[in-house]
Amino acid sequence: MSTVEKILLEFEPETRNLLPVLKRISAAFGYVSQKDAQKAAKYFDLPLSRVYETVSFYDLINIKKQPELTIEVCSGTNCAVNGSFEIIREIENLFHVKAGDENNPRIKLEIISCLGQCGEGPVVVVNGKVYTKVTVSGVHGILKEWV
Amino acid sequence: MENKIITKYWNKIDPLNIQDYIKVGGYDALKKFIRDMDARTALEEIKKSGLCGRGGAGFPTGQKMEMVAEKTEKKYFICNLDESEPGTYKDSSIVDNNPHMLLEGIIVSALIVGAGKAFIYLNGHYEKQKEILAHALEQAREKEFLGKGIIGSCYDLDIEIFQGAGAYVCGEETALINSMEGNRGEPKLRPPYPTDSGLCGKPTCVNNAETIASVPWIIVNGGEAYSKIGASCSPGTKLYILGGAVKKPGVVEAPTGTTIHKLIHEFGGGISCGKELWFAQIGGASGRLITENELDTPLTFSRDCPVPLGSGAVLIVDKSVNIYDLILSWTGFFRRESCGKCVPCREGTFRLHEIAGRLKDGEISERDKEALEDILWTLNNTTFCPLGKFAATAMSDAVEKLGILGD
Repeated sequence: MSTVEKILLEFEPETRNLLPVLKRISAAFGYVSQKDAQKAAKYFDLPLSRVYETVSFYDLINIKKQPELTIEVCSGTNCAVNGSFEIIREIENLFHVKAGDENNPRIKLEIISCLGQCGEGPVVVVNGKVYTKVTVSGVHGILKEWV
Repeated sequence: MENKIITKYWNKIDPLNIQDYIKVGGYDALKKFIRDMDARTALEEIKKSGLCGRGGAGFPTGQKMEMVAEKTEKKYFICNLDESEPGTYKDSSIVDNNPHMLLEGIIVSALIVGAGKAFIYLNGHYEKQKEILAHALEQAREKEFLGKGIIGSCYDLDIEIFQGAGAYVCGEETALINSMEGNRGEPKLRPPYPTDSGLCGKPTCVNNAETIASVPWIIVNGGEAYSKIGASCSPGTKLYILGGAVKKPGVVEAPTGTTIHKLIHEFGGGISCGKELWFAQIGGASGRLITENELDTPLTFSRDCPVPLGSGAVLIVDKSVNIYDLILSWTGFFRRESCGKCVPCREGTFRLHEIAGRLKDGEISERDKEALEDILWTLNNTTFCPLGKFAATAMSDAVEKLGILGD
């Protein structure tokens, strides 16, 4: 199990390494906690606000603890014409959640931007696992694996 | 007539094996550059070729390289592989199918501008491509195409992969540089342009991956041969990404100046069975909408071209598609991806998305319709970087050409 300190020590304390470090921390622990952000700030000799400036900007870095189940549905143009919004509505009805609601502690349903797999859309990502060519009926089977 | 440059060896060689690429003439451009040319003569060839930026803006590549090559201080070269325009996956296809062609392009281009260090700015989601590129870099180093004293010459170059973290706006070159410096990926005021003051304040040449992948061919075959392919205003070939209601979706290579009609029927195998064409969108979510009677427009990068080619994504929308979902897709995308630096874009994309939601629910009011016009004008004319302008394009066309608001 890697610790934040270990991750930090893999990189030189230069600002150009800030983004890769934060990305690694988020990938390893699910999110960048305030404590971790403080450690990073100290290591890079930057104010905490400066670290948060970067950390809060990017999609692939979380600053909140993630729920057990995060479902992301691509709504890029190609996925949208192949019915990704119908899939979103199906999931909304299935779990009684609303897309984009951040306050549900158990499930997060998020609409995301293009992942570059447009040839195989619609794309659904469940807890980091990518499913392609998903259909409205097929989404039930996929989600059964996780619930 | 040679019509395939980038895709020529796709599915014919093993992308993970450098020997396969060398066997079909790979790295010949690098050898030719080192043995028979210097930076100045090679630059002349690039300028002669008329190659222009394939990321969407279409800025002449030779001119950009020259601006950096002229400088005498430390310089950087960056390959822009951020590619996050919806419906666009051409650059990742280049990496998947022939990564060494891209590497060779980067090496030659970096040597032309005189950079000692090059970076590949990779889209944050492209994990598989990162592995392929890292593997390819390793092989190139073993063959001494990279590192100190490239194939026995006095040229030194190192290439490093820098992976982004999922932000569309980082495809814009100043935002890309900001992101590499560990900052928020917000665009910077230009001038100074990156060619004067880019990464760490040093002159930096940022080029799209597809542009760079065309460079080896130009070096081997000469700029003049390249300038004869495709439309004269922006010569060469282009990767088009066909999607939506076509029989054979995917990445195809065709000369610039190809009409949309030809792309659909010759390259895409025609409209899918049982579907009826409604309109096409050229260039991803930020692209214009083309109705049936405009399908004969040739696609070029020229400013006079009524349909900007953009990233090359061609989305065919048939009549069964729910247009309100598609509008939500466009507006939602730009609302999420607006970096928030300037008010017109931050607020404009947000309100546009709200109105799109009401439009879908059939609750659009007269006030919304009036506001929509103002919002679109503001986005189109006052935003800091082109993202805001892009956000308005498709929606304006939908209002004008498709009459989504009714009468």
